[in-house]
Amino acid sequence: MKDSLTLLSRVSAHPDSRCWFVAWNPTGTLLASCGGDRTIRIWAKEDTNWVCKSVLGEGHQRTVRKVSWSPCGNYLASASFDATTCIWMKKTEEFECVTTLEGHENEVKSVAWAPSGSLLATCSRDKSVWVWEVDEEEEYECVSVLNSHTQDVKHVVWHPNQELLASASYDDTVKLYREEEDDWVCCATLEGHTSTVWSLAFDQTGDRLATCSDDKTVRIWKRQGAGEEKGVSKDEPSWKCILFYLYRCCSCKNPLSNALATACGDDAIRVFEEDAGSDPMQPTISLTAHMPRAHTQDVNCVAWHPKEAGLLASCSDDGEMAFWQYQIPSRGASK
Amino acid sequence: MAEDSGTLWGLVEEFVTGQQDSKAAEVASGVKDGDFTVLQVVESLGSCLANTEPRTRSRGVQLLSQVLQQCYSKLTEKEVEVLVVFYENRLKDHHLIVPHVLQGLKALSMCDVLPPGLAVSVLKSIFQEVHVQSLMQMDRYTVYMIITNFMKIREEELKNLGADFTFGFIQVMDGEKDPRNLLVAFHIVHDIIAKHYNLGPFVEELFEVTSCYFPIDFHPPPNDPHGLTREDLILGLRAVLTATPRFAEFLLPLLIEKMDSDVQSAKLDSLQTLSAACAVYEQKELKEFLTSLWSSIRREVFQTASEKIEAGGLSALQSLSSCLSRSVLTADSEDYLDTVLNNVLQDCKHHLCEPDMKLVWPSAKLLQAAAGASSRACRKVTSSVLPLLLEQYSQQAQSNQRRTILEMTVGFLKLQSKWSDEEDENGLGAFKAALCSMVYSAVTDPSSQVHLAAVKALTVLGTQKGFLSAADIDLVVGHLTRLILMETDLQSCNAAIEASGSLAKIHPSAFITRMIPQLSSRLWTEPMEINANDNNGIQGNALRIRCLEALAAVSTHQSIVRETVPILLDYVKQAQEGKAAINSDDIVSVCKSLHQVAVQCQPDAESMQFYHNAVVPCLLSLTVQAAIQESGTPSTEHVLLQDAVVSAMVPVISAACTYLSPEFGASSVSRIVNLFLDGDVSLLSENNFSCKFQPFQMDASTEPQSRLVALLMACVCSLPRKVEIPHLVRLLQHLLSLSLSGRSSFAYSTSSKCFAGLINKFPTGEPLDEILQDAARRIESGLVDEPNRIQAITLLAWVTKALILRYHPLNGQLTNRMIDLLSDRELGVSVADLFSLLVSDSADILNKACHADIRIMFRQRFFTENVPKLVQGFHSASRDDKPNYLKALSHVLNSLPKQVLMTELPSLLSLLLEALSCPDQVVQLSTLTCLEPLLLEAADILSVHMDTLITKLLSLSSSPAMAVRITALKCMLALTKLPLHMLMPYKQQVIRALAKPLDDKKRLVRKEAVEARCQWFLLGSPGS
Amino acid sequence: WVGKMVVSSQLENANPLIYQRSGERQVTALEEDEDVVDKIDDREIFDILVRAEHPLSLEELNVLEQIRVKVSDEESAVSVEFTPTIPHCSMATLIGLSIKVKLLRSLPERFKVDVHITPGTHASEHAVNKQLADKERVAAALENSHLLEVVNQCLSARS
Repeated sequence: MKDSLTLLSRVSAHPDSRCWFVAWNPTGTLLASCGGDRTIRIWAKEDTNWVCKSVLGEGHQRTVRKVSWSPCGNYLASASFDATTCIWMKKTEEFECVTTLEGHENEVKSVAWAPSGSLLATCSRDKSVWVWEVDEEEEYECVSVLNSHTQDVKHVVWHPNQELLASASYDDTVKLYREEEDDWVCCATLEGHTSTVWSLAFDQTGDRLATCSDDKTVRIWKRQGAGEEKGVSKDEPSWKCILFYLYRCCSCKNPLSNALATACGDDAIRVFEEDAGSDPMQPTISLTAHMPRAHTQDVNCVAWHPKEAGLLASCSDDGEMAFWQYQIPSRGASK
Repeated sequence: MAEDSGTLWGLVEEFVTGQQDSKAAEVASGVKDGDFTVLQVVESLGSCLANTEPRTRSRGVQLLSQVLQQCYSKLTEKEVEVLVVFYENRLKDHHLIVPHVLQGLKALSMCDVLPPGLAVSVLKSIFQEVHVQSLMQMDRYTVYMIITNFMKIREEELKNLGADFTFGFIQVMDGEKDPRNLLVAFHIVHDIIAKHYNLGPFVEELFEVTSCYFPIDFHPPPNDPHGLTREDLILGLRAVLTATPRFAEFLLPLLIEKMDSDVQSAKLDSLQTLSAACAVYEQKELKEFLTSLWSSIRREVFQTASEKIEAGGLSALQSLSSCLSRSVLTADSEDYLDTVLNNVLQDCKHHLCEPDMKLVWPSAKLLQAAAGASSRACRKVTSSVLPLLLEQYSQQAQSNQRRTILEMTVGFLKLQSKWSDEEDENGLGAFKAALCSMVYSAVTDPSSQVHLAAVKALTVLGTQKGFLSAADIDLVVGHLTRLILMETDLQSCNAAIEASGSLAKIHPSAFITRMIPQLSSRLWTEPMEINANDNNGIQGNALRIRCLEALAAVSTHQSIVRETVPILLDYVKQAQEGKAAINSDDIVSVCKSLHQVAVQCQPDAESMQFYHNAVVPCLLSLTVQAAIQESGTPSTEHVLLQDAVVSAMVPVISAACTYLSPEFGASSVSRIVNLFLDGDVSLLSENNFSCKFQPFQMDASTEPQSRLVALLMACVCSLPRKVEIPHLVRLLQHLLSLSLSGRSSFAYSTSSKCFAGLINKFPTGEPLDEILQDAARRIESGLVDEPNRIQAITLLAWVTKALILRYHPLNGQLTNRMIDLLSDRELGVSVADLFSLLVSDSADILNKACHADIRIMFRQRFFTENVPKLVQGFHSASRDDKPNYLKALSHVLNSLPKQVLMTELPSLLSLLLEALSCPDQVVQLSTLTCLEPLLLEAADILSVHMDTLITKLLSLSSSPAMAVRITALKCMLALTKLPLHMLMPYKQQVIRALAKPLDDKKRLVRKEAVEARCQWFLLGSPGS
Repeated sequence: WVGKMVVSSQLENANPLIYQRSGERQVTALEEDEDVVDKIDDREIFDILVRAEHPLSLEELNVLEQIRVKVSDEESAVSVEFTPTIPHCSMATLIGLSIKVKLLRSLPERFKVDVHITPGTHASEHAVNKQLADKERVAAALENSHLLEVVNQCLSARS
């Protein structure tokens, strides 16, 4: 386990500030970071170095909390404490802010592009989740305002291949939404965490969802009784927590291998993997990598590279980003 | 004449049509030189003054006015009359012309020969013809100046105008906006009132036209060239508003309203204005408003978070109470003081019963403020409050609460003593028994916090004339003695020592019989004894130090000094005889006590003479005896000869000699000099020695004796200049030799100091020059004499200092020599350090206390003469030597007053910044210390160096030397006071960089880092 | 909390109980020794917090007590319990936020700062604690100029 995570490089991404979030573009050629300095920065690798290709500084008046790439890779959406969401269009080298989505009453905490590319979700401290539709003219229209949470909504993610939306909140719950007769409705509430749920991540198939919380646990939820298999309840598959693991964090499922990485307020990065051959309903999951003091302060985010197996980016309150190579430990060494 | 008038016409022409401004000055000097008269100037202007084009007329009047401003003092009465008539007419002319007319009138208003009646006429014209507030600021200012001038020289005439003058002025200033003009206008209104001009029916109008500016809300623009401050305006307006009781009916409601404002400065201004008004008011002006005023003051004092507003409120209440106390009571009038005090008591008294609550102190302070106004108020308040406090004390169980009550009681008792001189009978008499019993119980309370307050109360009670009986005093002294000897809490013990000092003066006999014997006996308690039955936790050593401090503190009366000094000297004697295990620290403590006694004796000649006779021969005897015993032994081991002990005796002897009368001093000093020069031991009490005392002998065997030159120095260098020192030249010769070839550094450096101290006071003239020539020659040869070079530069430095202080012409030459030596491979570093000696005050010699010849501004002079040389030396020095120059320079800069440094800063700043990069930590530290106070004042100069400065300070904040880190961080904190625009570009960088010293290994460094960083966070941030 | 915080210019509890201030910390010889490492200790943190507060110091109001301030230099962890003056004190969150901000500005970055209400002393203890622990909301609060103003006022030295 010792050598399973190796530091490749460190970059001072948002000096004099904190780096909140990093996101790879779909092809993995670019990495976007955002932070307390109100900027978004776009990074690319040149030889062995990570170089800042552009700084998107004019869009937001306050902290940029999260960013999300469109599936086509030509757009970047950014959520900010200034209550707006900006849509940036990539023009060869530069990015241009083409639209500013307004409507939330206060801080926008997260934004996520649906796999189709025609839907966008945002969430805010105003307790709401908004679903936006993008038409051919690139006009954005709010199609639904979801007020299911009773508190601050911290994070939204889309199912990898369905129009299913998940949100995490300060009210300790996770909610799932789907479209029903032209409107979006909450179709499931996942209860179990005992404090703020900070982050969500689906696995490749979308059958399992990992959530992490201020209660210092990661929970893995599995979709059960989905209509396509058992037909118990065709429309309302239920989700069951099948496992939880201590540690508060932001999590990210590896799109290539199902390794789960966590970024944690104890300055550490951890990677978990399901043991081969474990019961799908009661899987055993092992800690396969633990990097204490990965950063000098809280780690805020981890992101697996979409194409290169085991390449992980992380960022922290210390303003830095770091790049890591994850090596699946050989069976014997994992002890 | 014809030629002159031709010249004049030409000049006028060139000024008016040629627009050449300089010609006005030429015309003026023509008038001054008598080439032409003012009336000729008017004549020559004739055509242009009649011109139809206003610009031309304006130009003509401008010329005349400019000439008048230069020459008004030369005008005759007749000329003034003509000119005034001319100008008055012109006031009706085109508006372009009016400003120049006013300039002319202003010049005329300064003429002493102004004929009677004209001032009034000018003013009437101005009031009638000019709408002052539509003029430009400058021109309005001119009008105010004209009025001011007339008020100065034609007061009586103006007063004949009656209320018309007042009304006219009201119209002139109505609507004034410019702060510079307002200040003048306020002065005028103040004079109108103070000099009793007739206000007629316009009292309210006059109040309105000025009070509309209250409270002043003016913030001078940055870099205001007029230097006008908010404070100037506030005081100017306050003087007007409080100038007459006739404003009272308008002012008081206004103040009550503004006290309720949300703006802190308005509250403060209102309270302070109220205080000022009460000074001129009487009860009849106040009576209607008393209830409202009291409730406003109470509200502010109860609610405020600001110490300034609290102080303002308390002072307003005191003024109010004073004002009411002043008013004479007639049989049938109501006593308003009584009414107000009743209100205060009613609203505040009950809070005194809640000693845990926030309002307890504001209430006590309000009551004390009201009581502090007069004897009558004081009696009324204390007689009501004291019984309550006494009762509360007995009811409260917690020591916190008891302490609070005691402290409040002390506050009231102190007020009582303020008035006791006026009172035949002390107002406290009725409470005496209760007060004493409360204080005696408090002083034995288990809590040391309560002791502290109780000791204060004891002091106040004991100092009230005739309040305590002899038996009570004995009891008090007993309590103090117990606290000094038994109390484990150091603070309580120190408070008891301090209280003993104050009370001993008044009740010496009680201290002599009750305290001193106990202190004396405990002084001799062996450490072993104490430890054996250690039940009070005070170690023998600590107890001894307490006894010594207390003995010194109580020596505030001649009769006590006669008791304490022998006890202290006896202790030294025991040490000499080796009787007890006394170490050098003990003797140093004894010397400190002896010194304190001397300082306390100094005002009283008789005590001083006793002290001198008792102490000086005794210390000399004991040390000479010790030195003779030790002679011939290789190392000085005797406790009385150690550096620290001898050094501690220096201030004792010094203080004993500083204030001697010339006659007494001369006889004493001659015996001391004889002792050192000739071994004449007649002075000494103990004079049966085995061998001769030869301190200037300078061989190995007499080395212990040479050390005692320090005591000689203490005596001869601190005498008043009038006291003649016998055999002075011979003495100087000996000192010079010892300075240059003494063996121990203690001996040669004190000998150098003694030499320097004497030549500093040596009268100017040939003998002095000869001595100095000789000294300079011997120093030079010492500098080439390998083993004694250090001695030579030490002497050089002290002599140079002695001469710098008295501006002796030779000081420049010697200073140059020192600057040269900065490049000396071997001595450079030591010489650089010696520069600090040149400019800093030394504790034992060459200071004001020992009557040294110190010219004012000697540091500035030294600075001007030598800093350029040091700077130049720095530039031309080799790399190895540069730090020596920087170090010398930074010592010099450090000693300078800030103002002087400010003017030189521009030329020195780059050097100082370079000094910050110098690897020598001493240089770094002294440069930082020198920079810190300058940072606030030198914004302009610093602005171009901000980059370098911040980079260097941040890098020094991780220096290996803790003191450097601390000072660098203090500088970072000082920077935050600079204008915001200079700092903002660096804010993020600095905040990030200061995160590092937050984790310094030293707490003292972290503390500075926290303060600096938090302050940087606040820069440009809302709410800061 | 950003929107709902109401800041009153006057104390809601005008005559609160007051407690004694502890004296200045005395500088020891060890602290002046260049070579000795002085660990960050409880008193040091306490002094950072009580040194500059107004109108009454948090110490005099008993909001902060030294025994409720705990630090472990080795573990880089600080825990501060504060006690609101009254159980319904509307300023509790603001006081907590000010304490937290002061610590974040004054402590080395390696420290994890935990600020919470003394158990059982406030009606909304859990809610206030949860807000104070949410670093995202703290960050957002400090970008709110009105709130930052109030916090800075709390942190500026007594004038």
